Amino acid sequence: MTPFARLSPENRPIAIAAIFVVVIVLFGTVYTLSTQGTAPMLSPGYLLQQLQIGSFLGICAAGMMVVILLGHIDLSVPWTLTAAAMMATTVGGPWAIPTGLAVGLLVGLLNGFGVAYLRIPSMIFTLGVDSVLRGLMVAHTGGFAPQTTASPLMRFLAADRIAGIPVAIFVWAGVSLVIAGILTRTGLGKAIYATGAKEGAAYLSGIRTRGVIVAAFVISALCASTAGVLLAGYSAKAYQGMGNAFLLPAIAAVVLGGTHILGGRGRYAGTLVGVILIVFLNSVLSIMQMPEAFRQIIYGVVIVGMLLVYGREGGSRT
Amino acid sequence: MQDAAALQGAPPTPYHEAGMDSTTPHVALEGVSRYFGGITALKDVDFQCRRGTIHAILGENGAGKSTLIKIMAGVLPPSEGRMLLDGRPVAFRSPAEARDAGIVCIFQELSLIPDLSVADNIFIDRPPRSLGLIDRRAQRRRSEELLARIDCEDVNPDTNVRDLSLSRRQMVEIAKAISKNPSVLILDEATSALTSRDVQTVYDLLGKLREDNVASLFISHRMHEVDALCDTLSVFRNGHHIETFGKGERTSGEIVRLMIGRDIEAQFPPKPAPVAGKSPALKVEALKWEDRLKGIDIEVAPGEILGLGGLDGQGHKELLLALFGVLKGVTGRIELGGRPYRPASPARAKRQPTSLALVPEDRKTEGLMLQLSIADNLLTPNYARVSTGPLIDRSRADTAIADAVTQLQIKVGDVTDKVETLSGGNQQKVVIAKWLIDDPDVILLNDPTRGIDVGTKQEIYRLMRQLADAGKAIVLYSTDYDELIGCCDRVSILYDGRVVAELDGERLTEENIVSASLNIPGGEAA
Repeated sequence: MTPFARLSPENRPIAIAAIFVVVIVLFGTVYTLSTQGTAPMLSPGYLLQQLQIGSFLGICAAGMMVVILLGHIDLSVPWTLTAAAMMATTVGGPWAIPTGLAVGLLVGLLNGFGVAYLRIPSMIFTLGVDSVLRGLMVAHTGGFAPQTTASPLMRFLAADRIAGIPVAIFVWAGVSLVIAGILTRTGLGKAIYATGAKEGAAYLSGIRTRGVIVAAFVISALCASTAGVLLAGYSAKAYQGMGNAFLLPAIAAVVLGGTHILGGRGRYAGTLVGVILIVFLNSVLSIMQMPEAFRQIIYGVVIVGMLLVYGREGGSRT
Repeated sequence: MQDAAALQGAPPTPYHEAGMDSTTPHVALEGVSRYFGGITALKDVDFQCRRGTIHAILGENGAGKSTLIKIMAGVLPPSEGRMLLDGRPVAFRSPAEARDAGIVCIFQELSLIPDLSVADNIFIDRPPRSLGLIDRRAQRRRSEELLARIDCEDVNPDTNVRDLSLSRRQMVEIAKAISKNPSVLILDEATSALTSRDVQTVYDLLGKLREDNVASLFISHRMHEVDALCDTLSVFRNGHHIETFGKGERTSGEIVRLMIGRDIEAQFPPKPAPVAGKSPALKVEALKWEDRLKGIDIEVAPGEILGLGGLDGQGHKELLLALFGVLKGVTGRIELGGRPYRPASPARAKRQPTSLALVPEDRKTEGLMLQLSIADNLLTPNYARVSTGPLIDRSRADTAIADAVTQLQIKVGDVTDKVETLSGGNQQKVVIAKWLIDDPDVILLNDPTRGIDVGTKQEIYRLMRQLADAGKAIVLYSTDYDELIGCCDRVSILYDGRVVAELDGERLTEENIVSASLNIPGGEAA
């Protein structure tokens, strides 16, 4: 047995993913040393820049994790993110960020209502909501890139630095603290794990499972809209399809971090490691100037390969 | 007591020889041990089983019975030792290999797929084929034959398993097992979910299989069942094979002592004298729900244990679920502690001034989240109780968990272990304990001792009486008549969604329960 076998099923994927992150960084460094004679991946400036870019994905993944813990999924993340960004830049000024978050709140309530009360499978319902949001945004902008720009506060949060550290990383850290706190320290968090593990038993334990489901989708949509507001601040404007690149990486980060796709199991630390893994994998591939086609292939192979490793190490699955 | 000590100290006697021929045993285990991490589930077990016998395996939960049969059925490999089939060593890598060698197991956890039909389930791993496609007609015909063989002609092979009662599902499971023509049939608690009628059918079937030279291994916690049925008995305790002997060589008292390694007191705690005139904690009048409940009247006072008896599927389960707010569209009058109460949801039921708790029928799917820790399971109904604002107060949570573990004497290594690592009896204790933390006034129990070892049953009986003495009102549904008679102050017998008899005091006898269950009006007079 490998040393990983002694770790609990929750911690084993986290340890493996963390080791893989180190492997990626070492591999990238060896590559650049041998080809260019430099080691940019080990410079603090480069790492901070990668984490700044990663913070958008990290915030999406934090929300996605809460929904996946319930055994559900939120496919409306891309256009929730885009809609929040577009509405925030449209309103502008001091109300930009509250508007963006309000979009998230509304979408989350809608998703939660559809899944918990109408009992429509989340995969279908959130896909539908994503499509509706897309249509609404195309109608709103006429299909063109909106001319409105991000408010100064949005730009500060996404693009500025405090003491040399990007503010976006602080936002990500704040969101992480809130999510980790909810999951480990509150009745809601415990109820999310319980509902994800066995909804019927949770209901019979007197947990208001429908309320829990709504809360999880609200958290996910709020995270997506926060990422949208930040991304608009980073790019100084909102644009069509800006959320498209986040859905699959967010799900992948959560699953690579050891959260069980059927719910009930997983730790937030794992999602953090999963996000960092995906960000660094992307950056190594771009440093190597890998053509887009090969990047996609490697990306997919790594995700499936890591999950196979987890499965081998994991032993029993209930 | 002296006797028990002597039994414990005695070396294992040689295998019972009566009625045996001199041929090698059909299945033999030699020096088999099995470890799970640091836990020893089986230690150095020698065990033999011969064709044409019905062989009971007895032991408390955690004695190693389930591990033993999982090794025989190819689910688990032994850590040490070997297994012989007709004298030849075998090492099964999967249940399919064991099945091909003729060893078929009916597991405690039902293996049926709810959304497939009965026929599809019976032939799921090797459907009859014609031209490479599944021959549905042959499958249906052979299913009918198999079901007829176990007196289940009323089960339509085209019904989805989801729509059958627990007892009927178990019978389909048995049909599935005998469809494989086993030479060894292993029944793990297979009768605990059965109605009396189906139990008799299974007895008859095992008798026929014995004539066909099949070896049946039978795990059961019902002593009279073992007495009636088995010709050879093996007792396990703490992973060791204690003794194997023939039917009638030991009294049931001796067998129980072998199983638990100590004496047990009177099986049921004494009942207090009935107190008249207490206002009921729960009063139900004309409760109706769809066509399953047709006007139920019951009441139970603080300090009282009310039993619900009757055949399977007469509305007991629905009654408990209706009271707990799970069913929608329930009509009738319900009072809790004198106040009118309208069930809406379990969350509402547990927040009433006179609060309710339900220990559901199936602890694995309804009572527990198996993959969560013991501590998290204990907290599920109690977040509000251990929180300050939205935050859980860890010290209060830890205290509540530790108190619950102590009160019910749950045998845990660490409360952060997954609840699925516990034995069945301890799992059930967790289900009860999580509700006791919530301090309910009325406790509804749906067959809480099903599939649980003798020792834990005793503890649950004592606990129920303690809770009643502490002023709780308890409603207990049980399929075990002894339990209803021994535990309950009064028993209401349900038949077809109605209470057909209420038995108490001298009239609370097995005879009366049986006749009332069958709705035979003459029974009580006789």
